[in-house]
Amino acid sequence: MRSRDLGGFWAGLFVAGVLLWSLITTDVELSRLLSAGPRIADFFGRMFPPDPTIMDEIWKGSAETLRIAILGTLGAVFFSVPLGILASETMVSAAVHRPVRTVLAFIRAIPLILVAMLMVGAVGLGPLPGIIAVAFHATGMLAKFYAEAIDGVSRAPIAALESAGAGPLLRLRYAIWPQMAPVVARDTIFRFELNLRESLILGIVGAGGIGFYIQTYVRSFQYDKAASVTIAVVIMVIAIEGINVALRRRFA
Amino acid sequence: MMQNAIHIDDLSFGHHSAEQRAIDQVSLNIAAGECVALLGPSGAGKTTLLTLLDGRLRDWQGRVSVLGTPFEPTRALPLAKRADTGFIFQEFALVERSTVMRNVLNGRLGRMPGWRALLGNVSKSDMDIARSTLSDCGIADLADRRVDSLSGGQRQRVAIARCLAQEPKLIFADEPVSNLDPSRAADILTLLTSAAQARGATTVFSSHQPELARRFADRIIGMRNGRIVFDVATRDLTDDATAALYDDTDPASGARLKVVS
Repeated sequence: MRSRDLGGFWAGLFVAGVLLWSLITTDVELSRLLSAGPRIADFFGRMFPPDPTIMDEIWKGSAETLRIAILGTLGAVFFSVPLGILASETMVSAAVHRPVRTVLAFIRAIPLILVAMLMVGAVGLGPLPGIIAVAFHATGMLAKFYAEAIDGVSRAPIAALESAGAGPLLRLRYAIWPQMAPVVARDTIFRFELNLRESLILGIVGAGGIGFYIQTYVRSFQYDKAASVTIAVVIMVIAIEGINVALRRRFA
Repeated sequence: MMQNAIHIDDLSFGHHSAEQRAIDQVSLNIAAGECVALLGPSGAGKTTLLTLLDGRLRDWQGRVSVLGTPFEPTRALPLAKRADTGFIFQEFALVERSTVMRNVLNGRLGRMPGWRALLGNVSKSDMDIARSTLSDCGIADLADRRVDSLSGGQRQRVAIARCLAQEPKLIFADEPVSNLDPSRAADILTLLTSAAQARGATTVFSSHQPELARRFADRIIGMRNGRIVFDVATRDLTDDATAALYDDTDPASGARLKVVS
């Protein structure tokens, strides 16, 4: 066998090993999976027809989720602007941007739902912990994107302004910002879409929004109502994705 | 005797070994009001020398003084002193998504109080200067256009207008026309040198085209491998001297020439 074929053989063996390991160490029994069939069918059966009488709750929950996403994104932008500058190679020295980037990586590594649970403990139930959690979590990504937008601009106009005697802030405003603005707009809209998707489930841990109703109806076995909420969530995600695509086309 | 706009004494920049220096033991005086061409092949050190004289390089050896200000070898020129020297870039170095007017006003940033510049509060006198340089450069009608909608020749006119709006006493132009076709190139150099002359500004431009240097400069300095090969009044420039500048077979310096395709 040639060494290239041997490499493929080892890779295949590795993947097979990983799959086997996952199967034997997790409690996956074929009998349980088969007997679950009828119950899953029953579950879906009870979701139909979806209960249309809870439109008020759906509107209220959706509006709250939207508000959490909007205010959370606003908070993330607020913190990402200074942090993005401090994380950029163009604006600050390595002694500053390296540690800032490390902190941002840590923030990104903490799952949103975990931050939300901590915030519910800290500030109580309702949309406020959700907003704080989204703002915190999204800053980790958005500040990195902003830093990359700053570092991605053409250097020559910056040198030209430096030559004319413009300081770092003036260079940021007149040479860097005009170049990075469309990237910032695109990244911010993208992050808003993610924030909306992720904040749909925040209600499950008591951090506000439509997720609260999903949890309430599923726990109380009102699957027809849970189905209505699910449909509302799907419509909302598709709508926001459509808006996002249209906006991104404008900033291309 | 005229005052020196530029005084350079035994200037070197780059690696410590002489073979790899971008600038190697250059000494030079340029008088106020002169129009000088730096002539030489790619990699001769023209851009490095101009960037250094613009105050944007550090860690060089020797003595440099520009417009009476001695430079410090260990640090770049303080921002406050940069407005008096203007720089025109080969690749124009404009903010593509901004308007022509905004780009020209950018040339005034070093002359405005910092807070006012940051707020975008443009005084009437700054605006008047920007308008008059735009019309001097023949692009008054393009003021509201975005730079990314302009042709190469128009862009270099904007870049010259930005430089002139800075009201520099000294203008450096690094290969200002090498991205333009020959007829545009002559137009642009005519504009640049006559505008500089009208303002009494000293001009140093680099070029790799001997005929342009001859036509527009009073004095031509030939550079190769970081050294000055000749420094003559334009009328004294011989064809042999220019030929030697581009002679790839010259055993003294041929080894370090870059291959330019």
